[in-house]
Amino acid sequence: MNRPLRRLASVVFVAFAILAAGTTYAQVLAGPGYRDDNRNTRAILDEARRERGVILSADGALLAESISDPSDPRSFRRRYPQGPTYAHVVGVAATILADRGLEAELADTLESGRDATISGLFSALTGDDLRAHSVRLTIDDRLQHAAVEGLGGQRGAIVALDPTTGAVLAMVSAPTFDPNGLIGLTTDLGDALENDPSRPLLNRAIQETYAPGSTFKTVTAAAAIEVGGATADSLFPNPAQLALPGTTATISNFDGETCGPGDEVTLAVALIRSCNTIFGVIGMDAGAEDLIATAEAFGFNDAIPFALRGATSAVPDAESLVGDLAAVAQTALGQRDVRATPLQMALVASAIANGGVIMTPYLVDEIIDADGDVVDKTAPTEWRRATSPATARVIGDLMREAVDSGTGRNAAIRDLAVSGKTGTAEVPDGPPHAWFIGFALMDTTSPLALAVVIESGGDLGDDATGGGVAAPIARQLIETWVALIS
Amino acid sequence: MTRRGEAALVGFAAVIAALGVTAVNFSRSVGVDATAVLTLVVFVVAFGSLHLAVREWAPSAIPYLVPLAAFLSAVGYAEVYRIDSSLGSRQLWWLIASAGIASAVLFLLRGRGVSVLRRYRYIFLASGLGLLLLPLLPESWPLRGAIVNSSRLWVRLDLPFGGTLSFQPGEVAKIAIVVFLASYLAERGSQLAAMTSRLGPVHMPEPRQLVPLGLAFLIAFAVLIYQRDLGASLLLFALFVTMLFAATGRHIYLGAGTLMIAGGGLVAWRAFDHVQTRVTAWLHPFDDYLGSGYQVAQGLFALGSGSLTGSGLGVGRPDLIPAAATDYIFAAVAEELGLAGAFAVIAAFALFTAAGLGIALRSRDLFRKLLAGGLTLVLAIQTILILAGILRLFPVTGITLPFMSYGGSSLLANMVLLALLLRISHEERT
Repeated sequence: MNRPLRRLASVVFVAFAILAAGTTYAQVLAGPGYRDDNRNTRAILDEARRERGVILSADGALLAESISDPSDPRSFRRRYPQGPTYAHVVGVAATILADRGLEAELADTLESGRDATISGLFSALTGDDLRAHSVRLTIDDRLQHAAVEGLGGQRGAIVALDPTTGAVLAMVSAPTFDPNGLIGLTTDLGDALENDPSRPLLNRAIQETYAPGSTFKTVTAAAAIEVGGATADSLFPNPAQLALPGTTATISNFDGETCGPGDEVTLAVALIRSCNTIFGVIGMDAGAEDLIATAEAFGFNDAIPFALRGATSAVPDAESLVGDLAAVAQTALGQRDVRATPLQMALVASAIANGGVIMTPYLVDEIIDADGDVVDKTAPTEWRRATSPATARVIGDLMREAVDSGTGRNAAIRDLAVSGKTGTAEVPDGPPHAWFIGFALMDTTSPLALAVVIESGGDLGDDATGGGVAAPIARQLIETWVALIS
Repeated sequence: MTRRGEAALVGFAAVIAALGVTAVNFSRSVGVDATAVLTLVVFVVAFGSLHLAVREWAPSAIPYLVPLAAFLSAVGYAEVYRIDSSLGSRQLWWLIASAGIASAVLFLLRGRGVSVLRRYRYIFLASGLGLLLLPLLPESWPLRGAIVNSSRLWVRLDLPFGGTLSFQPGEVAKIAIVVFLASYLAERGSQLAAMTSRLGPVHMPEPRQLVPLGLAFLIAFAVLIYQRDLGASLLLFALFVTMLFAATGRHIYLGAGTLMIAGGGLVAWRAFDHVQTRVTAWLHPFDDYLGSGYQVAQGLFALGSGSLTGSGLGVGRPDLIPAAATDYIFAAVAEELGLAGAFAVIAAFALFTAAGLGIALRSRDLFRKLLAGGLTLVLAIQTILILAGILRLFPVTGITLPFMSYGGSSLLANMVLLALLLRISHEERT
C-alpha cells in the first residue's frame, strides 16, 4: 500500500526543491533587478525616512527640521516651517522627486549615517559620529523676509551679501513654491511646477542670466580707469546720438538728449546719469580686450564657487569683438551678448564695496554636530581681485553720487551713504528687466551689497526702469538692514 | 532523538521567537522590553504544554513534529510582530489557545485512538461541507459571511459582550474532510482500485465509482465560483485526488484529476474575472503594476531586496507588501532574513512533510495511513501553492502559510492537524 504514498512523497519533495530553486532565482539571480527596479520604492523610502539635521538661519530661525513619525519612531518626515520663503536656497529633501537646493548639496552632512548596513555597524563600533549634523546658514531671516516683501509678487530675484566676507544675507527668487508640497509619494505637484511656464522651480538668483544693462557700466568704467588710465574727470565727447561704426544703427540716451550740457562730459557725469552715448565711446576707447579682461576679472565667464550650482555669467570672447566696434559699444552697455546672474551682479557691487576684492560667496556658516558643538565654520576667502582699491574707490564714489543725485535717487536714504547703479536692460520682445546693484558700507560695520532684478518690468511693464522699480526695493532692504544692525 | 531532545528544541524555538522580537525592538530603538520576555513565556507555555501532553497521551510519537511546528511558528510570529505588533500580541493568544486545543485533542483520543474518528465519518463530512458553506451566510445575520479582498471565505460572529470574532472556517473544514476521506477510502479503496471497465485502451473503474470524484470536483468548483477562492478550491481538489491515488494506487485518478484541474482551470479562466486577474498578475505582474500586479510585484521586490542574508528583522520594508502578515508572510521573511531564512523555512516544511509521510508509510492500519498521509499532504500542498504563487511559479492562490501566517483559524487548524499526526505516530509505534 506504500507505493503510491512514496510516489506522492517524491513529487512533493521535487516541488520543495523547485521552490528552493525558485527562491534562489528570485532572491539572488533576479534579485538585483528587482531591488534596483525604479518602481521598488524601498531605497527612496529608506532615504526619506532617515533623520536629517535642522537648517537654521543666521539669526536662529528654523528653516528645515525632521519630525519623527508617531507611528514609526524610526521614520522621519521633513518639514519646512518657512514654506516658500527659502524654497530655492534650502530646497527640499523630496521623496520620489529629486532633492533640491542645499538639501541636495549637503545631503551627506545633514543625513544621519546610521543605518543597518555592515559598514554602518562598523562605523558605529569604531565610534564615528553618525548622527545627523545641523547647519546654520549665513542668511538673515528678517532680511530674507524683507526681500520677499520687496519683490512683492513680481518675477525676479534679490541677492544681498556682506562684501567683506562673502556671506550671503538674503537670496530670494520669485515666483516660488512650497517645498512641503514636494515631499511624499506623488509627483503631481512636482510635475505641475516643472511644466509651469513661469518656472517657479528656477532659482533666478543664480540659475538665470539676464542682460545686465547699465549696471554693467560699473565694469566698463573699471576697464577705462584701471586699464585705460582714465579718471572720474576724463572728458568724453557728448553727442545726442552715437553712430555705431560699420552699421546704420545708433545709440541714444534714455531721454534721447545729450548727456547734459556741453560738448564734452566727464566719466563721472556719464556714470551718474547713466549715459549710453558716452559709455559706448568709453567702451570703444577701452577696446574689446581690456573690456572683456576687466569683466573676467569681475568673475564673468567663470563659475562662481558656491554651495548651489548656478549658471555662469558671460561676456563674449574678446577675439569675436575685435574689429567690430559696434559690438564693443553695445557690450560696454551690458547689452548684446552680455549675460549675468543676479549673484554675479551682487558680486560686482561687492567688489566695488570691498576695495576691488571679491570674497567667495557662501551660504553655510556653521556645521553643528548632534551635541551642539560647531564642527566646521566657514572662513571667508578671497575669490578674486576685480580692480585695484583706488579704482574701486573712484567707482564707489560715483555710484554714491548716482544715488544722491543721479539715476539711483530712489535708493537714497537720509543720513546714510548708499552707492548704486541702475540698469534697464532691453529685451528683444517685451518690457525691459529693471536692475539695481549697490551697497551701503554702514561705517564699515555690517556692510551690505546687493543686486535686485525685476524681470520684464514687473508690475510697471514697458514703463519700468531700474531706478523706478528696482531702486526702491533696494532702499527698503537697506533700511531693513539698518534697523536690524542698529 | 528523545522526548528530552524535543523539549530542548522547543525551548530553542522559544528563544528564536524572543530573539526575533528583540531584534525588531532594537531596530525600533526600543531595546529589550517586556514583549521579548512575554514571547519567550508564551512559546514555552504553548509548545511546552503540547510537549507535556505528548508525553502523557502520545508518549511514543516521533519527537520531530513539535519542534518543527514551534520553529515555524517562532519565525512566523517574529515577522508578524515586526509587520504589526498588535497582530503579534493577538497571535500570542492564538498560540496559547490552539496549543491548548491540540493538547485537548490528544487527551480526547487517549483511550481509543484515532480510529474512533471513523465512527463519525459522515458527521465530519457534513461539518466539513457545512464549514465550507458558512461564508455564504447572509451578511445581515449575527453569524455572517464576509468578503475580504473580494474572496468570500470569512465568517464573522458578533459576540454578546461586544466585539466581533472573525474566522476562516475553510481552514478547519480541510481537516474534517481529510478525516472523512481517510475513513471513506480505507473502506472503499479496493473497490475504487478495481479496474473492471474499459474505455478504449484505458482501464477504468466502474463509472459508478467515479461519482465521488465528480462530486469533489463540483464542490471545489462551487467554492471557486461562490467564494471566489482559488486557493481553497485547488487545495481541496488536489487533496482529494492525491488521497484517492494514495488509497488506490491507480494512476488514472491522478491523470483524470490533473485533466479536471486543467479543464476546470481553463473554464474558470475564461468565465471569471477574478481568475483572469490572478493569471494576468502571474504572467505579467508589471503590466498592471499599480493594479492587479501590485501584490506579486511587491513580493518580488521584497524577495530581491532581501538577497542572500536579508535586511535584518525590522529593517526591511515588508509593510509595502499587501497581506504581508498573512498570505505573503514568506516574502516578508525572505526580505528580512534573506535567502538563508527562506531556505530554513522551506527546509522546515520539507522536514515536517517527510516526518508526516514517514508516519503514514509506517502505519499498519490503512485508515491511519491515509489519515496521516492526507493530513501531511494537505499541509504540504497548501505550503507549495502559496510559496509557488509568491515565487511566480504559479498564480497567487491566497491561502495562508501553515504555522507562520497571522490568523487564529489557520493556526488552530494546523495545530489540530499536528495533534492528529502525533497521535497516529504514537499508535503506530506501540
